[in-house]
Amino acid sequence: MDLYSLREQFDASGMMICFNGPFSHSIIEELGTALRNHLADENIGKAAVLDVFATYIELAQNVRNYQTLRSLGQGETAASIITISRWNSGYAVSSGNMVIKEDAASLCERIAELNALAPDELKRRYKEQMRREVPPDALGAGLGLLEIARRSSSPMTCAVRELDGPFTFFSLTAYI
Amino acid sequence: MDHPSRPQTQSTPMISFDETAHTLCIVGESFPENSFTFYAPVLDWLKQYLKNSQALVLDLAITYMNSSSTKCMLDLLDLMEDANARGVKVSIIWRFDRENPRSIELAEEFSEEVTFPFEIVAIS
Repeated sequence: MDLYSLREQFDASGMMICFNGPFSHSIIEELGTALRNHLADENIGKAAVLDVFATYIELAQNVRNYQTLRSLGQGETAASIITISRWNSGYAVSSGNMVIKEDAASLCERIAELNALAPDELKRRYKEQMRREVPPDALGAGLGLLEIARRSSSPMTCAVRELDGPFTFFSLTAYI
Repeated sequence: MDHPSRPQTQSTPMISFDETAHTLCIVGESFPENSFTFYAPVLDWLKQYLKNSQALVLDLAITYMNSSSTKCMLDLLDLMEDANARGVKVSIIWRFDRENPRSIELAEEFSEEVTFPFEIVAIS
């Protein structure tokens, strides 16, 4: 297989790091380290590095928690994509994964809702959610998207690719 | 109940307790695979400890926390706030990285959540 055209596509879109496949916690850790090393060479401030890293962690852990919650961590629904690209003078962090059709619609609604909020309101909602009781078997605290919205410099975008069957492919991008 | 003790890993902080100084230290970064299962033993231990003790210092040097770890940290602070209301002498030393503005912002947001002494100092 000649991967050159794939590489050209990556380069043209400013992609720095891309992972495609089923990912585990240790892959999230390793990719995170690679990302930081990469950003360390970019001459940007520590705050910017942390914002990109934190956004990557929230997206990756969100995907993994969703797969566990919906039992999608095996077979063809397990493969997910995480990318980190240069975007304008900053970075774009994206995740793409299979989601149940109805979930995609509610996710897009929630993202549109968060995009409309001012920083003070995002902080207020973050603190409110942090104070909310977490169900005993919960994997996350329901704070991930709020955290990403707070670190974003532009509204998040999402894309839904309709597929035959019960799933759609959901892509979410945050801009730092 | 034994005090919690954890080595530092890539995604979890080092946790140690100094009995004579009544100091619980948490150092490193925190984005465990499951924050709730990681922090549950620490919260259980702290709850017991604060029932039978007169003082606790929480000494933190956490440069990054994922969102579910912030929830666990708030639970920890709430236990201390309750103990403070019962007359236990509790306090926090939060060490931040002066080269990273996010590090002090995190400390300041948590300091808004408590009424007991909360000292924010730069890591030297």
